[in-house]
Parts: sequence; structure tokens; C-alpha cells
Amino acid sequence: MRFWLIFVMVFCPLPAGRVSASDVVKPASEYTEPQFTEADRSHWSFQPRTDPAIPSNAVADWVRNPIDAFIGAELQNRGLYPALQADRRTLIRRAALDLTGLLPDQSAEDMFLNDRTSGADERMISRLLDSFAYGERSAQHWLDLARFAETDGFEHDKVRPDAWRYRDWVIQAFHDNLPYDRFVQLQLAGDLLIPEDPAARIATHFCLCGPDMPDINLQEERRHTLLNDITATVAETILGLQFGCAQCHDHKYDPISQADFYRLRAVFEPAVVLKKNVSVNHLQIRSADVVDSYVMLRGDFQRPGPTVRPRIPQALVPSGGNDPLLSASGPGAQRLALAKWLTSPENPLAARVVVNRIWQQHFGIGLCESPGDFGVMGHAPTHPDLLDWLATWFVDHQQNLKQLHLLILTSATWQQQSRLPDTADSLQQTHWKQSLQEDPEARWLSRFPRRRLQGEVIRDVMLQCSGLLNRKSGGPGIRPPLPTELRRTLLKDQWKVTESEDEHLRRSIYVFARRNLRYPIFEVFDRPAAIQSCAQRTVSITAPQSLHLLNSEFSLKVAEAAAQQLTSGHPDNHQLAAAAFEKILRRKADTDELQDAADFLQQCGNAGTFSCHFSVPGSLLNSNRIHFVD
Amino acid sequence: MLACAALAASHEQQTSHRAARAKRVIWLFMHGGPSHVDLFDPKPALTKYAGQPLPESFGQVMTRRDVARNPLLAPVRRFRPRGQSGVPVSDFLPHIGNCIDDLCVIRSLHGDSVNHPQSVYQMNTGSILMGSPSVGSWVSYGLGTENENMPAFIVMPDPGGGLKGGPAAWGSGYLPATFQGVTVRSGTTPIVDLQPSGNISRSQQRRNLNLIQTLNDRHLRQRDQDDQLSARIRAYELAFRMQSEAPEVTDITQESAATLELYGIDQPHSKEFGTRCLLARRMIERGVRFVQLYSGDTNGWDAHADVDRNHAEYCLKTDQPIAGLLIDLKQRGLLDDTLVIWGGEFGRMPMSEQGRGRDHNPWGFCAWLAGAGVAGGRTYGETDDIGLRAAVDPVSIHDFHATVLALMGVDHERLTHFHNGLDKRLTGPDDARVIHELAGTSA
Repeated sequence: MRFWLIFVMVFCPLPAGRVSASDVVKPASEYTEPQFTEADRSHWSFQPRTDPAIPSNAVADWVRNPIDAFIGAELQNRGLYPALQADRRTLIRRAALDLTGLLPDQSAEDMFLNDRTSGADERMISRLLDSFAYGERSAQHWLDLARFAETDGFEHDKVRPDAWRYRDWVIQAFHDNLPYDRFVQLQLAGDLLIPEDPAARIATHFCLCGPDMPDINLQEERRHTLLNDITATVAETILGLQFGCAQCHDHKYDPISQADFYRLRAVFEPAVVLKKNVSVNHLQIRSADVVDSYVMLRGDFQRPGPTVRPRIPQALVPSGGNDPLLSASGPGAQRLALAKWLTSPENPLAARVVVNRIWQQHFGIGLCESPGDFGVMGHAPTHPDLLDWLATWFVDHQQNLKQLHLLILTSATWQQQSRLPDTADSLQQTHWKQSLQEDPEARWLSRFPRRRLQGEVIRDVMLQCSGLLNRKSGGPGIRPPLPTELRRTLLKDQWKVTESEDEHLRRSIYVFARRNLRYPIFEVFDRPAAIQSCAQRTVSITAPQSLHLLNSEFSLKVAEAAAQQLTSGHPDNHQLAAAAFEKILRRKADTDELQDAADFLQQCGNAGTFSCHFSVPGSLLNSNRIHFVD
Repeated sequence: MLACAALAASHEQQTSHRAARAKRVIWLFMHGGPSHVDLFDPKPALTKYAGQPLPESFGQVMTRRDVARNPLLAPVRRFRPRGQSGVPVSDFLPHIGNCIDDLCVIRSLHGDSVNHPQSVYQMNTGSILMGSPSVGSWVSYGLGTENENMPAFIVMPDPGGGLKGGPAAWGSGYLPATFQGVTVRSGTTPIVDLQPSGNISRSQQRRNLNLIQTLNDRHLRQRDQDDQLSARIRAYELAFRMQSEAPEVTDITQESAATLELYGIDQPHSKEFGTRCLLARRMIERGVRFVQLYSGDTNGWDAHADVDRNHAEYCLKTDQPIAGLLIDLKQRGLLDDTLVIWGGEFGRMPMSEQGRGRDHNPWGFCAWLAGAGVAGGRTYGETDDIGLRAAVDPVSIHDFHATVLALMGVDHERLTHFHNGLDKRLTGPDDARVIHELAGTSA
């Protein structure tokens, strides 16, 4: 039930220039804000976090940590059984791809395979978390949320020369294991938290990563669009709510009023200062008094409605609770107060949202299937108690992201097999069949859900397998060559290829992110458009992906390099095939596979030619074995 | 050719809400903003008051380059009544003029921005902001493809490149990436990565593919016939078929001399655009649902300095090819169920710029429709006396999109995609209406 409180009449001037005057004049508009009740707040994600008891009914000898107790109890309720533990090669490959976006180094793999003392998996995972590659991989997930690109978009798509500094800040922050609350606070208010630290100011670029049109005629329109983008992105990323829906009208389903949207936006209004034809880079510290904030009727920048002041969304403040934005005063004080409130235990959403994101990185799907929508139209969590338990655990552990990863990856749940081993006994086979039948998408985690790698990881792994990967970190984005036909869709000189060829072989995270043209292998593999926050990529499987991997110059280069390494000293077909398997798949080929490859080389006719030889590693690099995490 | 094939995508929306009059669309996009007052919308008053400032009765006008107080510029070419219907077209477009009895000229379109990229986005996606799905993406999302070896939505950009707003103009926005426009160019390698780099023969590639598939089959058998894995196996087979089918589509060597002449391919000035118009016909013949052609590089039809010089060049490039396309579609019986759209992102101002040029005008401008049973030889709507604003029966971009969808048998209010907590649609949350009088559809 909502009852109506505020009633305001507003006169709105007609924008100059539009259509015929008689046609467009709309009646003077009004805005009435709904008042939300306890019933509106009763939606699960608005409720305070709970600290659920750890279930005790799961199969005891399977449970390794509390995650398994929750998952196991639910499996038991459904008459399902967990799968066996995956073998060590599978585990380290899975862990390395999840945490670092690369295959494990050979030495790390050997160390893990040979470590027979207890806690070997924990040590293996900790080593991966300590590597810089963990920061590089984690950053991509965050940059998707931050709609990050290094250009403005629109017509001129001008380069933002310092945007890479923010990307590097994010990598470093993950590597340094900055507590999540601090990580968020710095991105919203780093300039206020540590005024003397330039890095903290760079962090606020998060707010301004989105598209912008600096040369637009109407700078008021530009400002309006930019502020709405900041507001929607902050709310979606931190709160997991579709706040942007409320910019034109009250949210249709969630207790988010249009006034809530513009009150949150009011926090950022003083911080955004624009100059025509100049891209924005940082937030500014100015007093809230310098700008008036309004509800913009129907989301139209030319139709200011009632005035608003910075406030926390009303549905998130329990009745009788305090709104820290009300008592904040001084330049930037509201923004700082917002950053602190968003990450405080009083906010029911932030911890749930972030642990769900981390879970999604490891299982493909979050406990809540709609990571960007914890609202009424989003999905209810499959394991609500586990989600709350994890969120509470996370807050109790100083919001330590690496420890959260470690907890998840050392669970029996995550370490399950994704396929039935040949050695399975009849009971295991029965359980497996049941798992496939009754848990077809592995949503209840009666086995590990297999998934396709993301484009950035595919590129890195291909470079790694061929020995070409350049592990240099940081600095301005690099531009590997582009097919001419794509370059020609851009304005002149918008893709100046980086001179040094070594640089073309660096990790995907360092490839220049032009908003108007995603790098081909990333685009074809579903990289988001960097227009709005992306909490979950679509996973498509298409023929153009196959064409790219079969035919592109990049694929050819990688296959050639791999072949070059292999052919030296392996003139014999069987030897070459065996070496290709070991090099690329990191394991010995079984007899059948070896025969396939040797047959292939035989059929190649003039065997021994280079084009034949690179076809073996080339084909392995195209095979499903490389492109999925088992 | 493409991935028509979201082979593993879960999307199942094959939406036909009513009988479709148009099974496919060819959209001729004149990038830069063709001048309605010099092509399809004659304004005697503009000739009469040429040289004088805009009368104050027109009120304030927002313009891109501050031209509101500049003197009015008379139409730069003479208009004549054309065809049986006598609908006037200027001397810039004699060939299209001859087809006027098949065209319905909309004279009252209006958009919301004086800037190129915003208007390019609005015309293509309904929103002035970057990142919404384009009309072609919506159509392929809603109607799917008629040929699984071909993409549903193909874009042939101007070879000069530099569309203002970039590839986002044919992007799929929040729809799955499979539905974005696939760019195709003339020649033997129409699609990026279609053919192997380096010296790999087709038989060698077949062998490579066999090795990949053998490995994948074995891998699949050990993994419970996982759908994603088998989808990826099918994607490789499709890719292999595309390699032979796609070049066949763009190979025009078997077309007759008469056809080449019809499209102006025998003339140096119209060869390039004529070739793309012919490819458009070949594509829709093979079941491509939505083909979009761009005319105009970075500047294109953007006649700021000299309308006569600019439009003379672009009309010469496109006039005969477009007329040829219309005639060819008609003689092959394809025009009955193919909708042809012609238009830019906006029109141009009645005021002059730099003496003989004109600035952008989104407040009132033209586009035309042909085919799909849309009655030709007529106009719909009017601008005011000088062509500044849409005045009679105005058609918003959302209305225009709703009407195009209606012709395709799709209800714009029901073609939706759930995204970020909302059912999104091409025509936005506000009112948009199908203009039945324009389309000849019934409510």
C-alpha cells in the first residue's frame, strides 16, 4: 500500500525548436511522490541481513566448510547427491582460469600435483590469489560493471588520455586486496577521503567511465545525461538495484520513487563540472549549495519539477532510522556520507550483492541469478540462507575479497567434478544420472557447472599456449592491428597501431578500450558495450566466433608460434602430436587422440610441411577442451 | 552466413502479431542529412523570401551552428511534377523521380537533436543516447532469419567509413550480440575473417575442421552430450558452410549487362553504390531479413558549405542505383513484400549557412517508403511554409518505427525484451502510434 503525500504543480517551459508549437505543448505537469510502507520494504533484499545457523543435516563426510553444509542440505532436501571431487589437474586449471584468467604455470602445476601434504589446495589457491594476474583478471569483472572504456563514444569518440590510470588503479586495488568497503568508498569519494593522494582521486573516475558527448550543443542536456548515468551506475553496481528505471517515473515494481532517484543524483550534482568540448575525468569537491537539484519530470532535462536534497533512498532507511546525508555539511560531505553509508552494515544490500558477484565468477551464475537486479523483478536466491551467511561472514572478515575466494574455492561444492569419471561405480553412476535429470542446469550444484571462457581469457590463453604472451603490466592501452575493414568504420586515425609488436602480445586487460569499436575477438565473444553497467555477460555460441578462431590473423600467428616451438626436435608425426597435446592441453594425449592427430598428419599428404604442422596446435586451440572450464 | 545462429542462445521469440505485408526491409540511409527542401519538399515561400531573415513569427529555433538569423536560401534545384501522380521531386533526383508513383514521401518527420550522432542513434534505435538496439536488431530478434546460413541483419557501410556514431548505429544494445548488424562489403571477402589468413587451401581447412570435430566429438561423448559443447560443434560446421555461401552472395559476375546498367554499375560515379544496391537485392532474395546501406562517409550529405555541390555529388552516386533497385525489385515481384526506406538522420534548415549551405534540421524533414503494399505517388504530412518544422500530421521517430514494425506484422507494444527490470521496446515507454494512413494498415 502506498499513500500519496506530496503534490506539486510545475510550469514547464517549451523547449525551443521542437516541432510545431501548437502540437507539443503538454499540460503543466505534476509530481506526487509515493510514500513507502513496511510492506514495500518486506522484499527479501531490503530486509536486514540475517546470520543463519549452519545446517547440520548434510552428508557429513562430504562437507569441508559451511558453504557445503548449506549446499549439501539443499541437495539432501531434493534427494540429490554431490558429485565426487575433481582430479588435481582439473582443479588447478579451473582455479587458475577463475582467479587469474590464465592457465597455471607449468611449475605451479607440478608443485600442486606433487604436494601430497594436507592443505595443498589451499596453498595452491593462495599462490594464485597472490599473483598479479589475479588483480588483472578481477579488474575485468569490475570494469564491466563500471561501463569502462577509454574514449567518450558518440561522434568523435575522443580518447580520454588518463583513463588507463583508473584501470591500473582497479588492478592494483584487487592485487593489494583492498577491503571491499574501502574499495567502493575510494571510487565514490577518494578525493574527500585522502585529499593528498592523487591515486584516491583517480579512483573517482569510476563515476565518470561512461559515454559522454562533450561537443553537444546543449551542455545542460549533457550534464543531465551524465548525472543520470552516474546515479544509475552507482546504484546498480553497489546496491544491485535497477535505479535507472526511476529517472522518468517512479519505479514500476520496486519501492524506488523518481524523487529517490533525483535525491541520490543530488549527491553528485555539485561534483560534476563540465566544460564544452572537454572530457570529464574526476569529480570535484564543491558545496551542495552551488547547485539546485530537482526531480526532472519524465526524465526531461528541460522540465525541472520539485526541488530535492541529497538523501538515502527511503525504502532502504528503516522507519525511524537515521539518514546520514541529512546531517552531513560542508563541500562534498554528502558524497562522503553516501560512500560510507553504502558500505556500512546498515545497508542491507551491498554485502549480499558483492558476495553474489564473486560466487557468479566461480559458478557462472550467482546464488541470485540476477546480479544487477535484487529488486522485485529480479530472481529470488536459490539458497537465501547461504547468501546471507556469506554476506555476514564477509562483513565479519573485514570485507576481505581474497579470503572469500579462498573460502569458496576450498569448498567441496566448488571442487566437484563436472563430468562422470570412467572409473565411477554403479552408485555414482546412478547419482550422476539423477543429477543430470533433476538438476539439468546444475543450479542446485549437484555437480560443477561447466562454462565457456570469456573472450579476454580466450585471447590470453591462446597467447600463453603459443609462448607469445607478454606479461608486462600497467600503462596506457595498447592497440594491436585491426582488420582494415573494421578500421575503416572508424574516423581517421582512431586506431593507431602500437609500434612495438611485443606490446601487441600483452594481456587483454591492456588492450585499448575504444567505446565505438570493441576489439574483434572480445566483441565476437560477448564483451559488453561499455554503455551501461553490465553485471552478467550473455554467453553466445556463434559461427563468427568459429570464423575468427579459424581464420583471423591473430589465430594464424598464434598457431604458427606454437608450431614453431613444437617442430624443433619432433620430426615424427606421433612425436609432434604428443608434444602438441602436452604443450597446449597440459596433459598426455590418450591413445585415441594421438591416433586422430597422427592420422590427420598422414592425410595431410605432403606431411612435414609447415602448414600441416601448425594445423595440429591450431586445431587444439580451436577445440572445446581449450574453450571450456571443466 | 553469420551467426544467424545464436546456436545456444536461449531466445525463442519468433513474433508475428498480424499478417506481415513486408517480409524484409532494405533501408537506404543517407548519412549526413539530405536536404528535404531541395529534394522532396518544395517550398515556394522559400523562393519568395529568399535572402530575408526568418520571420519572427517562427519564434526561437535551436540550430547546431547558430544559423537562426541567417537569410533564407531558396531551393537550389528546380522541382517538377513526376509520374502519373505528379508528386514533385527536384532535378537532383531524376531517376528516383521517375519511380515516384511507387513512393510515399513522408514530409513531416521530426527528431530531437541537432547533433549527428544523437540523430543517427535516434533514427536507428529510437533513442538519442548510445547503446539501444537498432531497428534491424529488433526485427531479427522478433522475426528470426529465413536462411540459417545467412545473418538476419546485414549492414553495408559506406566504404569511405566514419559514420558519425560508429557501429553502435547497428548495435544490438541490450539484446544478445547475435542480433547486431553484420557488416558486409562487396568483393570476395565480404565478411571479416570469412577466409583463412595465409595460404590454406579449402581441402586443408576441411581437414583441420575434421580434426577439430573429431577431438570435440570425443570430448562431448565424455561429457553427457552437453548442449553448449554440441552447439559449438555446430557453429564450426555453419562457419564452414558460410565460407562458401557468403562469397556466392556477393559475386555479381553472373548478373546480366542489362542488370548492371540498370543499377548504374556501368558508370564510374554510380558503380560503388549501385553494386551495394544490387547486393541488397541478392541478399533479400536469399532470405536476409533486414539490409541497411549507408551512403556518405564522415561528411556525407552534410552540406554545410554548399548544398548544390554536395548534393549534386551524392545524388549522382545514388539516384540511378536506387531507381534501378526499385525497378528490379518490382520486375521480380519482390517489391510486393519488401519495404524500401530512404532517409537520413535529419533534414536541413531553410536558412543558409556560409551563403550556399544549410545547417542540420531535425525539426521537420523527409523520408520515403516504397513497396510492401504502401500506396505510392503520394505524400504524407507537411512541414510549415518554409520547411522548418513538421506542421501537419507530424510523424515522430517512434511513430515511424512503430509503422515500419506494423508493416512487418509486428506490434511495437508487444515486441519487448526484459532488461534491467523493465520490458524495453524499440518505441520507448512513451506513446508511439502506428500511422495506419501512411502504411495502409488497419488499426
